[in-house]
Amino acid sequence: MTTTKTVLIVDDSRVSRMMARQYIAVLHADWIVEEAGTGEESLVKARHTTPDLILMDVNMPGMGGIAAAEQLRQEFPAVPISLLTANVQTATRERASAMGIGFVEKPITEARIAQLLATLEAV
Amino acid sequence: MFNLTELENDALIEIFNIGVGQAASSMSAIVKEAVRMSVPSISFIPRTEAARLLGQADGVAERICGVSQRYRGAFDTEAILMFPEDKSLEIVRLMVGEAVPLKELTEMEQEAMCEIGNIMLNSCVGTLANIFQRELQGSLPQYHIGTSDEILTATGSQFNSVVLMLHIDFLLEKHQIHGYVAFVLDISALHDLKEQINLYIARAMGKV
Repeated sequence: MTTTKTVLIVDDSRVSRMMARQYIAVLHADWIVEEAGTGEESLVKARHTTPDLILMDVNMPGMGGIAAAEQLRQEFPAVPISLLTANVQTATRERASAMGIGFVEKPITEARIAQLLATLEAV
Repeated sequence: MFNLTELENDALIEIFNIGVGQAASSMSAIVKEAVRMSVPSISFIPRTEAARLLGQADGVAERICGVSQRYRGAFDTEAILMFPEDKSLEIVRLMVGEAVPLKELTEMEQEAMCEIGNIMLNSCVGTLANIFQRELQGSLPQYHIGTSDEILTATGSQFNSVVLMLHIDFLLEKHQIHGYVAFVLDISALHDLKEQINLYIARAMGKV
Protein backbone atom coordinates (compact mmCIF):
# COMPACT_ATOMS: atom_id res chain seq x y z
CA MET A 1 0.00 0.00 0.00
CA THR A 2 1.46 3.33 -0.98
CA THR A 3 0.32 6.84 -0.20
CA THR A 4 -0.84 9.20 -2.91
CA LYS A 5 2.02 10.91 -4.70
CA THR A 6 2.29 13.88 -7.01
CA VAL A 7 4.25 13.57 -10.25
CA LEU A 8 5.18 16.65 -12.29
CA ILE A 9 5.60 15.97 -16.03
CA VAL A 10 7.58 18.66 -17.86
CA ASP A 11 7.45 18.34 -21.64
CA ASP A 12 6.66 20.76 -24.47
CA SER A 13 4.92 17.91 -26.32
CA ARG A 14 1.27 17.64 -25.32
CA VAL A 15 1.20 14.11 -26.72
CA SER A 16 4.10 13.03 -24.53
CA ARG A 17 2.48 14.56 -21.44
CA MET A 18 -0.76 12.81 -22.33
CA MET A 19 0.96 9.43 -22.73
CA ALA A 20 2.94 9.75 -19.50
CA ARG A 21 -0.23 10.77 -17.65
CA GLN A 22 -2.11 7.79 -19.11
CA TYR A 23 0.57 5.29 -18.01
CA ILE A 24 0.79 6.79 -14.51
CA ALA A 25 -3.01 6.50 -14.21
CA VAL A 26 -2.85 2.83 -15.23
CA LEU A 27 -0.23 2.11 -12.57
CA HIS A 28 -1.51 4.42 -9.82
CA ALA A 29 -5.00 5.75 -10.49
CA ASP A 30 -4.96 7.73 -7.23
CA TRP A 31 -1.72 9.60 -7.89
CA ILE A 32 -1.87 13.26 -8.84
CA VAL A 33 -0.28 14.29 -12.13
CA GLU A 34 0.72 17.90 -12.77
CA GLU A 35 1.94 19.15 -16.14
CA ALA A 36 4.24 21.92 -17.36
CA GLY A 37 5.04 22.74 -21.00
CA THR A 38 8.32 24.60 -20.39
CA GLY A 39 11.18 24.70 -17.91
CA GLU A 40 10.01 28.09 -16.67
CA GLU A 41 6.50 26.75 -16.05
CA SER A 42 7.92 23.76 -14.19
CA LEU A 43 9.56 26.05 -11.62
CA VAL A 44 6.23 27.76 -10.91
CA LYS A 45 4.32 24.44 -10.80
CA ALA A 46 6.86 22.80 -8.49
CA ARG A 47 6.65 25.68 -6.01
CA HIS A 48 2.85 25.35 -5.89
CA THR A 49 2.43 21.57 -5.94
CA THR A 50 5.56 20.23 -4.15
CA PRO A 51 5.85 17.12 -6.34
CA ASP A 52 7.28 13.79 -5.18
CA LEU A 53 8.85 13.13 -8.58
CA ILE A 54 9.71 15.33 -11.57
CA LEU A 55 9.99 13.94 -15.11
CA MET A 56 11.85 16.42 -17.32
CA ASP A 57 12.20 16.62 -21.10
CA VAL A 58 15.47 18.20 -22.30
CA ASN A 59 14.87 19.87 -25.65
CA MET A 60 12.21 22.52 -24.96
CA PRO A 61 11.70 26.17 -25.88
CA GLY A 62 12.97 28.71 -23.36
CA MET A 63 15.38 27.71 -20.61
CA GLY A 64 15.31 24.00 -21.56
CA GLY A 65 15.19 20.94 -19.35
CA ILE A 66 18.78 20.83 -18.12
CA ALA A 67 18.71 24.41 -16.78
CA ALA A 68 15.27 23.83 -15.23
CA ALA A 69 16.43 20.58 -13.61
CA GLU A 70 19.50 22.34 -12.17
CA GLN A 71 17.32 25.02 -10.60
CA LEU A 72 14.77 22.50 -9.31
CA ARG A 73 17.60 20.39 -7.84
CA GLN A 74 18.72 23.43 -5.82
CA GLU A 75 15.22 24.37 -4.68
CA PHE A 76 14.00 20.84 -4.00
CA PRO A 77 17.10 18.77 -3.18
CA ALA A 78 15.06 15.85 -1.77
CA VAL A 79 12.76 15.47 -4.78
CA PRO A 80 13.89 12.87 -7.34
CA ILE A 81 14.21 14.26 -10.84
CA SER A 82 14.66 12.21 -14.00
CA LEU A 83 15.28 13.32 -17.53
CA LEU A 84 12.80 11.68 -19.91
CA THR A 85 14.20 12.58 -23.28
CA ALA A 86 14.82 11.63 -26.90
CA ASN A 87 18.37 12.97 -26.50
CA VAL A 88 20.21 9.66 -26.07
CA GLN A 89 23.69 11.16 -26.29
CA THR A 90 26.32 10.10 -23.79
CA ALA A 91 26.99 13.79 -23.05
CA THR A 92 23.39 14.19 -21.82
CA ARG A 93 23.55 11.02 -19.70
CA GLU A 94 26.80 12.22 -18.16
CA ARG A 95 25.28 15.64 -17.45
CA ALA A 96 22.34 13.97 -15.68
CA SER A 97 24.68 11.77 -13.68
CA ALA A 98 26.82 14.75 -12.63
CA MET A 99 23.67 16.55 -11.46
CA GLY A 100 22.53 13.52 -9.48
CA ILE A 101 19.37 13.04 -11.51
CA GLY A 102 18.02 10.05 -13.43
CA PHE A 103 17.95 9.44 -17.16
CA VAL A 104 15.33 7.51 -19.13
CA GLU A 105 15.13 7.65 -22.89
CA LYS A 106 12.03 8.19 -25.00
CA PRO A 107 9.74 6.96 -26.43
CA ILE A 108 7.52 6.90 -23.37
CA THR A 109 6.30 3.39 -22.63
CA GLU A 110 4.44 1.90 -19.70
CA ALA A 111 7.55 -0.09 -18.73
CA ARG A 112 9.69 3.04 -18.62
CA ILE A 113 7.12 4.94 -16.59
CA ALA A 114 6.83 1.96 -14.23
CA GLN A 115 10.60 2.01 -13.82
CA LEU A 116 10.49 5.70 -12.89
CA LEU A 117 7.59 5.32 -10.46
CA ALA A 118 9.15 2.28 -8.76
CA THR A 119 11.45 4.53 -6.76
CA LEU A 120 8.43 6.12 -5.07
CA GLU A 121 6.33 3.00 -4.56
CA ALA A 122 8.32 1.74 -1.59
CA VAL A 123 8.18 5.11 0.20
CA MET B 1 33.39 16.77 -56.00
CA PHE B 2 33.18 14.93 -52.70
CA ASN B 3 34.62 11.43 -52.51
CA LEU B 4 35.05 8.79 -49.84
CA THR B 5 37.51 5.93 -49.95
CA GLU B 6 36.13 2.40 -49.85
CA LEU B 7 37.01 2.11 -46.15
CA GLU B 8 35.41 5.49 -45.32
CA ASN B 9 32.26 4.54 -47.20
CA ASP B 10 32.12 1.18 -45.40
CA ALA B 11 32.51 2.91 -42.02
CA LEU B 12 29.85 5.48 -42.89
CA ILE B 13 27.34 2.76 -43.79
CA GLU B 14 28.17 0.80 -40.64
CA ILE B 15 27.74 3.90 -38.44
CA PHE B 16 24.41 4.80 -40.03
CA ASN B 17 23.29 1.17 -39.78
CA ILE B 18 23.76 1.36 -36.03
CA GLY B 19 21.98 4.72 -35.87
CA VAL B 20 19.07 3.48 -37.96
CA GLY B 21 18.84 0.34 -35.84
CA GLN B 22 18.31 2.55 -32.80
CA ALA B 23 15.72 4.59 -34.68
CA ALA B 24 13.91 1.36 -35.66
CA SER B 25 13.84 0.29 -32.04
CA SER B 26 12.36 3.68 -31.08
CA MET B 27 9.81 3.48 -33.90
CA SER B 28 8.78 0.03 -32.74
CA ALA B 29 8.20 1.30 -29.20
CA ILE B 30 6.15 4.21 -30.59
CA VAL B 31 3.82 2.14 -32.78
CA LYS B 32 3.88 -0.91 -30.46
CA GLU B 33 4.59 -3.24 -33.36
CA ALA B 34 7.60 -4.99 -34.76
CA VAL B 35 9.29 -2.71 -37.25
CA ARG B 36 11.74 -3.93 -39.83
CA MET B 37 13.93 -1.44 -41.59
CA SER B 38 15.84 -2.06 -44.78
CA VAL B 39 19.59 -1.62 -44.80
CA PRO B 40 20.03 2.07 -45.50
CA SER B 41 21.22 3.02 -48.92
CA ILE B 42 23.49 6.01 -48.70
CA SER B 43 24.32 8.37 -51.51
CA PHE B 44 25.63 11.90 -51.92
CA ILE B 45 23.47 13.60 -54.49
CA PRO B 46 22.35 17.13 -55.45
CA ARG B 47 19.22 18.38 -53.72
CA THR B 48 17.18 18.35 -56.89
CA GLU B 49 18.01 14.69 -57.49
CA ALA B 50 17.20 13.85 -53.84
CA ALA B 51 13.82 15.54 -54.14
CA ARG B 52 13.06 13.57 -57.27
CA LEU B 53 13.97 10.24 -55.63
CA LEU B 54 12.13 10.94 -52.39
CA GLY B 55 8.86 12.20 -53.67
CA GLN B 56 7.85 10.14 -56.67
CA ALA B 57 4.96 7.71 -56.57
CA ASP B 58 4.16 6.35 -60.02
CA GLY B 59 5.83 9.36 -61.60
CA VAL B 60 3.67 11.84 -59.68
CA ALA B 61 5.08 14.17 -57.01
CA GLU B 62 3.83 12.74 -53.73
CA ARG B 63 2.60 14.93 -50.84
CA ILE B 64 4.84 14.37 -47.86
CA CYS B 65 4.73 15.21 -44.20
CA GLY B 66 8.19 15.99 -42.86
CA VAL B 67 9.81 16.75 -39.53
CA SER B 68 13.21 18.41 -39.55
CA GLN B 69 15.80 19.22 -36.93
CA ARG B 70 19.02 21.17 -37.30
CA TYR B 71 22.11 19.73 -35.59
CA ARG B 72 25.35 21.55 -34.89
CA GLY B 73 28.62 20.25 -33.49
CA ALA B 74 31.05 17.67 -34.85
CA PHE B 75 29.33 18.24 -38.19
CA ASP B 76 26.36 20.43 -39.05
CA THR B 77 23.35 18.87 -40.71
CA GLU B 78 19.66 19.19 -41.26
CA ALA B 79 18.01 15.84 -40.55
CA ILE B 80 14.59 15.30 -42.09
CA LEU B 81 12.16 12.47 -41.45
CA MET B 82 9.48 12.10 -44.14
CA PHE B 83 6.33 10.05 -44.44
CA PRO B 84 3.58 10.10 -47.08
CA GLU B 85 1.05 12.69 -45.90
CA ASP B 86 -1.83 10.19 -46.02
CA LYS B 87 -0.06 7.89 -43.52
CA SER B 88 0.54 10.54 -40.90
CA LEU B 89 -2.76 10.16 -39.03
CA GLU B 90 -2.39 6.37 -39.08
CA ILE B 91 1.04 6.65 -37.44
CA VAL B 92 -0.29 9.03 -34.78
CA ARG B 93 -3.17 6.62 -34.09
CA LEU B 94 -0.66 3.79 -33.57
CA MET B 95 1.25 6.02 -31.17
CA VAL B 96 -1.57 7.18 -28.91
CA GLY B 97 -3.87 4.14 -29.17
CA GLU B 98 -7.58 3.77 -29.86
CA ALA B 99 -8.81 5.66 -26.79
CA VAL B 100 -8.30 9.13 -28.28
CA PRO B 101 -11.31 10.37 -30.34
CA LEU B 102 -10.67 11.13 -34.03
CA LYS B 103 -11.31 14.88 -33.63
CA GLU B 104 -8.72 15.16 -30.87
CA LEU B 105 -6.35 12.93 -32.83
CA THR B 106 -6.60 15.23 -35.86
CA GLU B 107 -5.98 18.28 -33.68
CA MET B 108 -2.80 16.79 -32.25
CA GLU B 109 -1.53 15.28 -35.52
CA GLN B 110 1.17 17.88 -36.21
CA GLU B 111 2.38 17.94 -32.64
CA ALA B 112 2.47 14.15 -32.45
CA MET B 113 4.38 13.89 -35.73
CA CYS B 114 6.89 16.43 -34.36
CA GLU B 115 7.39 14.25 -31.30
CA ILE B 116 7.79 11.11 -33.41
CA GLY B 117 10.35 12.94 -35.57
CA ASN B 118 12.08 14.23 -32.46
CA ILE B 119 12.39 10.72 -31.01
CA MET B 120 13.47 9.01 -34.22
CA LEU B 121 15.91 11.66 -35.42
CA ASN B 122 17.50 12.04 -31.99
CA SER B 123 17.72 8.29 -31.65
CA CYS B 124 19.64 8.07 -34.92
CA VAL B 125 21.70 11.27 -34.60
CA GLY B 126 22.36 10.71 -30.90
CA THR B 127 23.79 7.30 -31.70
CA LEU B 128 26.05 8.87 -34.35
CA ALA B 129 27.22 11.44 -31.78
CA ASN B 130 28.01 8.68 -29.31
CA ILE B 131 29.97 6.74 -31.92
CA PHE B 132 31.92 9.87 -32.86
CA GLN B 133 32.37 10.64 -29.14
CA ARG B 134 31.21 14.16 -29.79
CA GLU B 135 28.09 16.14 -28.90
CA LEU B 136 25.56 17.36 -31.46
CA GLN B 137 23.18 20.12 -30.38
CA GLY B 138 19.73 19.75 -31.90
CA SER B 139 17.09 22.39 -32.56
CA LEU B 140 13.39 21.96 -31.82
CA PRO B 141 11.55 19.88 -34.45
CA GLN B 142 9.80 21.69 -37.31
CA TYR B 143 6.78 20.28 -39.13
CA HIS B 144 6.38 20.58 -42.92
CA ILE B 145 3.82 19.52 -45.50
CA GLY B 146 4.42 19.56 -49.25
CA THR B 147 6.33 17.83 -51.98
CA SER B 148 9.81 16.60 -51.13
CA ASP B 149 11.29 19.50 -53.10
CA GLU B 150 9.21 22.02 -51.15
CA ILE B 151 10.25 20.40 -47.86
CA LEU B 152 13.93 20.36 -48.76
CA THR B 153 13.63 24.04 -49.73
CA ALA B 154 11.74 24.91 -46.53
CA THR B 155 14.46 23.35 -44.42
CA GLY B 156 16.93 25.83 -45.85
CA SER B 157 18.91 23.67 -48.23
CA GLN B 158 20.18 25.54 -51.26
CA PHE B 159 19.36 24.55 -54.82
CA ASN B 160 22.88 23.20 -55.30
CA SER B 161 23.26 21.62 -51.82
CA VAL B 162 24.54 18.09 -51.49
CA VAL B 163 22.20 15.71 -49.73
CA LEU B 164 23.52 12.72 -47.87
CA MET B 165 20.46 10.66 -48.54
CA LEU B 166 19.61 7.76 -46.34
CA HIS B 167 16.65 5.89 -47.70
CA ILE B 168 14.89 3.58 -45.28
CA ASP B 169 11.81 1.43 -45.75
CA PHE B 170 9.74 1.00 -42.61
CA LEU B 171 7.96 -2.30 -42.66
CA LEU B 172 5.24 -2.77 -40.07
CA GLU B 173 3.53 -6.11 -39.80
CA LYS B 174 0.02 -4.70 -40.19
CA HIS B 175 0.71 -1.35 -41.81
CA GLN B 176 2.68 -0.84 -44.97
CA ILE B 177 4.34 2.48 -44.23
CA HIS B 178 7.33 3.80 -46.08
CA GLY B 179 9.45 6.45 -44.46
CA TYR B 180 12.58 8.28 -45.50
CA VAL B 181 15.35 9.98 -43.62
CA ALA B 182 17.57 12.52 -45.36
CA PHE B 183 20.57 14.40 -44.05
CA VAL B 184 21.43 17.64 -45.79
CA LEU B 185 25.05 18.74 -45.50
CA ASP B 186 26.96 21.45 -47.27
CA ILE B 187 30.50 20.86 -48.53
CA SER B 188 32.09 22.15 -45.33
CA ALA B 189 29.94 19.83 -43.22
CA LEU B 190 30.73 16.88 -45.48
CA HIS B 191 34.43 17.41 -44.82
CA ASP B 192 33.75 17.61 -41.07
CA LEU B 193 31.82 14.33 -41.31
CA LYS B 194 34.68 12.74 -43.25
CA GLU B 195 37.07 13.83 -40.49
CA GLN B 196 34.86 12.19 -37.86
CA ILE B 197 34.70 8.99 -39.91
CA ASN B 198 38.49 8.88 -40.11
CA LEU B 199 38.79 9.41 -36.35
CA TYR B 200 36.35 6.53 -35.89
CA ILE B 201 38.42 4.32 -38.20
CA ALA B 202 41.61 5.29 -36.36
CA ARG B 203 40.01 4.38 -33.03
CA ALA B 204 38.79 1.08 -34.49
CA MET B 205 42.37 0.32 -35.56
CA GLY B 206 43.75 1.30 -32.16
CA LYS B 207 45.65 4.26 -33.59
CA VAL B 208 44.09 6.86 -31.23
